[in-house]
Amino acid sequence: MIVCIAVVGHQNNPLYIQSFTEADDALKLHHIVHCSLDVVDERVNNPKKSGPMLNETFLGLLYPTENYKVYGYLTNTKVKFILVTTDLDVRDADVRNFFRRFHSAYLDAVSNPFHVPGKKITSKTFAERVSNIVKSVSFHTTG
Amino acid sequence: MEHYPEELRTPPVTLVCIVGHQDLHATISTHLHSEQPPINTLALPDFTKISIIDKSPKENDNQLPSAYTSSGIIKRDWLLKHRTRVPAVVAALFDADQLSGDPAQWLQVCTDLENLKAVIKGRNIKLVVVVVVRFNSKDSITEDSLASLRKRAEVDAKYVITFIPDDASELNQSLNRLGNIFGELAVTFYRDEGRRVKTRLEKKSYGSIEFNVRYCFKVAIYAEFRRDWAEALRMYEDGYHALREMIGTSTRLPPIQRLVEIKMVAEQFHFKISTLLLHGGKVVEAIKWFRQHNASYKKLTGPTEINFFHWEWLARQFLVFAELLETTNATISSPASTVADRTSSDWEFRPAYYYQLAAQYLKEKKSCVEIAVSMMPAETDESCDSIVPSLYVGQYARLLDLGETSVMQLITDEDYTLFALTEEGKKLGDSTEIIALLKKAYEAYNNLKFQRAASFCTLLMAKEYFLTSDYTNSKQHFDKLTSLYRQEGWVTLLWEVLGYLRECSRKLSSAQDFISYSLEMSALPISSISSLQEMKDCGPAGSPSLKQVENIHKEVFAIVREETLNEEGENMGGIEVNSDHPLHLEIDLVSPLRVVLLTSVAFHEQIVKPQAPTSITLSLLSQLPSPVEIDQLEIQFNQSECNFIIVNAQRRESSSISHIHPDRRVETVPVIQLFTNKWLRLTYDIKSVNSGKLECTYVIARIGPHFSISCGAESPANMHDLPLWKFEERLEASPTKDPAIAFSGMKVTQVEEPDPQVDLILGSTGPALVGENFLLPVTLTSKGHSVESGELKINLVDTRGVGLLSPRETEHTSSSDNLHVELLGVLCDPTQDNNDGIRKVQQSFGLVSVPFLNVGDSWSCNLEIQWHRPKPIMLYVSLGYSPSSGAPKVHIHKSLQIEGKTPVVISHRLMLPFRRDPLLLSRLKRSPESGQTVSLPVNETSILVVNATNCTEVPLKLLSMSISEDDATQKNKAKTTCTIQSGIDNDPTLLVPGEEFKKVFTVKPELNASKLNLGSVCLRWRRDHESSKEVVTKQSLPDVNLESPPLVITLECPPHGVLGEPFTYFARIHNQTKLLQEVKFSLSDSQSFVLSGPHNDTTFVLPLSEYILSYKLVPLSSGSLQLPRVTITSVRYSAGFQPTTAASTIFIFPSKPQFLSEPEKKSIPADQAPQQITA
Amino acid sequence: MVREVSESCMDSLLTEIVSSYCNRFYATKPELAARRIEAIGYQVGHQLTERYTIERPRFNDHLEAIKFICKDFWFELFKKQIDNLKTNHRGTFVLQDNKFRWLSRVSVDPSVEISGAAQEPSVMSENKSAQATGLHLYFPCGIIRGALSTLGIPCAVTADISNLPACSFVIRIKV
Repeated sequence: MIVCIAVVGHQNNPLYIQSFTEADDALKLHHIVHCSLDVVDERVNNPKKSGPMLNETFLGLLYPTENYKVYGYLTNTKVKFILVTTDLDVRDADVRNFFRRFHSAYLDAVSNPFHVPGKKITSKTFAERVSNIVKSVSFHTTG
Repeated sequence: MEHYPEELRTPPVTLVCIVGHQDLHATISTHLHSEQPPINTLALPDFTKISIIDKSPKENDNQLPSAYTSSGIIKRDWLLKHRTRVPAVVAALFDADQLSGDPAQWLQVCTDLENLKAVIKGRNIKLVVVVVVRFNSKDSITEDSLASLRKRAEVDAKYVITFIPDDASELNQSLNRLGNIFGELAVTFYRDEGRRVKTRLEKKSYGSIEFNVRYCFKVAIYAEFRRDWAEALRMYEDGYHALREMIGTSTRLPPIQRLVEIKMVAEQFHFKISTLLLHGGKVVEAIKWFRQHNASYKKLTGPTEINFFHWEWLARQFLVFAELLETTNATISSPASTVADRTSSDWEFRPAYYYQLAAQYLKEKKSCVEIAVSMMPAETDESCDSIVPSLYVGQYARLLDLGETSVMQLITDEDYTLFALTEEGKKLGDSTEIIALLKKAYEAYNNLKFQRAASFCTLLMAKEYFLTSDYTNSKQHFDKLTSLYRQEGWVTLLWEVLGYLRECSRKLSSAQDFISYSLEMSALPISSISSLQEMKDCGPAGSPSLKQVENIHKEVFAIVREETLNEEGENMGGIEVNSDHPLHLEIDLVSPLRVVLLTSVAFHEQIVKPQAPTSITLSLLSQLPSPVEIDQLEIQFNQSECNFIIVNAQRRESSSISHIHPDRRVETVPVIQLFTNKWLRLTYDIKSVNSGKLECTYVIARIGPHFSISCGAESPANMHDLPLWKFEERLEASPTKDPAIAFSGMKVTQVEEPDPQVDLILGSTGPALVGENFLLPVTLTSKGHSVESGELKINLVDTRGVGLLSPRETEHTSSSDNLHVELLGVLCDPTQDNNDGIRKVQQSFGLVSVPFLNVGDSWSCNLEIQWHRPKPIMLYVSLGYSPSSGAPKVHIHKSLQIEGKTPVVISHRLMLPFRRDPLLLSRLKRSPESGQTVSLPVNETSILVVNATNCTEVPLKLLSMSISEDDATQKNKAKTTCTIQSGIDNDPTLLVPGEEFKKVFTVKPELNASKLNLGSVCLRWRRDHESSKEVVTKQSLPDVNLESPPLVITLECPPHGVLGEPFTYFARIHNQTKLLQEVKFSLSDSQSFVLSGPHNDTTFVLPLSEYILSYKLVPLSSGSLQLPRVTITSVRYSAGFQPTTAASTIFIFPSKPQFLSEPEKKSIPADQAPQQITA
Repeated sequence: MVREVSESCMDSLLTEIVSSYCNRFYATKPELAARRIEAIGYQVGHQLTERYTIERPRFNDHLEAIKFICKDFWFELFKKQIDNLKTNHRGTFVLQDNKFRWLSRVSVDPSVEISGAAQEPSVMSENKSAQATGLHLYFPCGIIRGALSTLGIPCAVTADISNLPACSFVIRIKV
């Protein structure tokens, strides 16, 4: 289950962060998202480690916590998407697919002429769309 | 790793035993230890001690019930026993004398051997017999004696060896031999032992699963002894899996103790496996293994009362693995190979991750302990004092003291739980350990430049300190976090930290910090996050919400307004602001409190006149959630007399208006209230007194009687975004309504000087002349101001900007040669002279103080400037003065361009004597470059004509002209080489502009040198009025070449002729050489004359003598006529030459003239110079 | 789905933006007007870049990003690529479009030419028309700056129109 999804801006500032857990431990998830930015930084700054997937937007598994797995995605425009899931056995392809859908939702949100670049995304439509994507994605079925 | 006994931590080392011949033990054991692989030695001094090998602790504890004996998994001391007491091989050392000598000794040998054999037989320990023999008697040992010894010992022949200690090379050989045999036998021993146990495993001939595990462990250890790591790993894994299966199946012990035992054993297995994997470089496998280990045991928490043990155990797993990884990571650089493996991430290769989790589980344990302790029965049972670790790993038993012996007794789970809890109470605080682990994780993350993960560890540390009421440390750690969270705009995280910081400040009774943190918290942009969802565990400040923020806001303002809160008054914990504890906060450009109060100040004009009013707009912005009322605003400027105060009319009495300076300007407004995210704009007139920069520095807001916030003023033009709020979608307004000021407004304005009311006049008297002391009058006339402490600055600057004559530059180039224009001095009227004034004159810069002048007075001085070269310059004169004493200075600047001109142009001409032409060879074959220097004949008188032309526009009085020898010439040549004579010096002559003055000198070079310096022309002149001074202008004449002419032709004829009257005309050819000269001459006809004489011929001129051509001429016409021209060609020099046309011209009068004045006026003798020839 | 915009609408919009800001809102403060127009371009560039870089691997260096602007980005905007790209390899890039679409229909006001003809006809008229044209270039400059800033390259963009309708954009990357 996806428990948290975040959009992080150029200055590593959260542009959008939403958790989907019943337990209201959102703060913990915020910490996890924040710490995962270290790994994004490391991946981007030490490209030699990443090997063939050098410039791919999908960064893969960032780090495992005891109960979660954190995946990252870095757009060409240096915006980071962070996904936290409780599913421990996830196929990369499913995560990629999720990020692709999320990216296009994000794109539509920031293309709104009333959205000011670099500010938090407050659009309700975006929030709804994200929650739909999150609901529709299930990493479990793929095994 | 210190949790584990030494024998478990290090790989097993083969143990051998040597008996007898104690003197050799040290040598042998040192050698064996340095073998590869090393061998540990158990050295027994004599054969009586051998029973130690066989001594088993079992015998001591035979009182235990047999059921209990078999019911453990691994014996606690089994490994230690094999590492320290049970050797693989025993070597019996005998002296050779014992074999061959006394039968009693032989008997002793036999007895010893028998005893030894009896001891080692049960354990299959291998035996080696060593015969120690001296080098010189090494042949004395007979085969027979060795054979009998071998029989006695029942060993192979090759295990009976000789040892020669007293020869270096033999000793070495003996030691090597011994070492090899030990190695070989040890491997055999451990293999046999392992195989023996393994057979039991394979036959499944073990009573219970415990034995299975135990056997696996033993086989693995034996394999490790042999360094068969693969086998060891396999067996450990087998044992580990078998053990894991026991959890559900075994019923041997009470459930809690059973689980504890299994975990302890599993821990040892796991440790061995991880170590083997990591040391084998299989990091990825080790990490996978750890993950699996963690997964299979993590859920086995056990019952609640004892689950703290589980967490402690789990924490230990992580800690130990972190430590293992850390020691391995030093050798294995980067897990680059694992990128393809997408199931694991880089994080799992970092010890920091495990440290952090260890801390997390330890924290879990801590809370479980707290729960368990709270549930513990109040009365503590003394009985648990007697509980000790039992024989088996992970088991505890009660030690019953039965006088002589003691008995181990099984305990119940309740007893065990109690015991474990009591033990827990005796240990060091978990918090210290948690903080230590977090610190390790923090440092590891920091080294990796993972600042956010490191910050998270800091946060956990700070929270742990907070829990242990160590508020100072806690605050210190929390403080480290704020800047990162602020910078990256993580409001939720910042909220949590600030909540803790606020609480710490409250506990530490720091009003300043408490108010600052509270204000910052209440100004956080929480609306966007609080609307989304509720959060828990957000620290002491609770979940971020608008209501919470407003509460904090209210609380702070209640404190600073010194109102008593009805219910929460006591809750303040000593935070107060009052007359004893006034509070002053500073907000600068980087302060996080900018969100609380942001002040923007803009002058409406960039430049203002003094005393002229201008407007200033003051804009205040606050992001506090509720409206803030400010009692009083004080606006401070760098010119403090401009400061003013704005008072809130409704709060007039509350504010500390009493201690306002009475002269201060006070403005009153109905109310000063700031609403969230709305600019409060106030515009006031302001008048500056002093010229210069006027800058608004601070705006101080006073709220309540003893609280003030001093806020650095910012210019709208370069105002930075508000921290945190810049990421928010909000209405952004500009600080001023006028977009131009919002865009370019500054908090600084330039106040101009008052207009000067003094005239500064630079009197110009036309161009200056090079060489003269040019006087330039400067006049000051005061018209409206009196001049006090006036200063006149004078600067000379090249108009073209090249070779700028700045004072600095001239200081460097001290020589005045390259100085073109120089300020010589400033001449003041002596009657007005003030001696105490400053007077500083440098080559192009001057500073003169001006005496006090009343209104209407005037003062003047003259600038004395000298030009060395013709050059236009700019003269800048500036006057700085104060209109009244102490008033700021007023400046007047004047400039004047002055042309520096050459007064006279001096030119000269050298001529040969009239009608006397020397043959100058160089003149005939003149090459282009030699054209510059003129050649003069030696010992002939030449004529030098010097012209001086007045180039100025004023008449000049010429005082004298002379030729003086250059200094250099006098030095170089002792005697004069030529005589230069001039006519009589005349009276000063006036030269009008453009007029030319000529003077003729005769030059007679007397020495035959190739070059001649003529010296320089020295002209004394002055301007044509009495006051001007005499100036000397010098111009050096170019050098001339000297040549002695071989032939000189002199033409002789009368100065004039009369028509029809015959006269004689001679051409004298003078040979000045000591050679015979052949000369051709020819005479061209002239129509104006009838002549007689030789026409064309060749003749010889004798050395140093003359040849005269004489002609008789009768002029046929009148006027200026050309004489028949004589052309002379020297054959020797193949050079022909002709007298000049001028020389061969004669004037013929039509009839005999009647002269009225003296005839010499007309005829000009060659050796007498004319006085003046006007052009 | 291909979305198209009427070119005449686009031209009219741009003209109207320029005239509104320069002649109505900030008639007396041309630098403010320029700033505002540039800011509009910045946002447009920002949002378009977000869209056009989707599904594209990240750029390795500045040159790759600039090439993206020259090729794909320009093509999306103008249906053509930048004609010439020059760089000094020290952070300055010159992008030349030989027929810049938004200037292709700019002509010089004849009245200006007549009034200018009195003194120095060529200089005067060129100055005036350059000024007027220059106002229309803040918008595309803003677009380029917005696009590059979004790609993480802070820069300053100016335009040069020495020979219409060719137009060069000079990008100076801030270090």
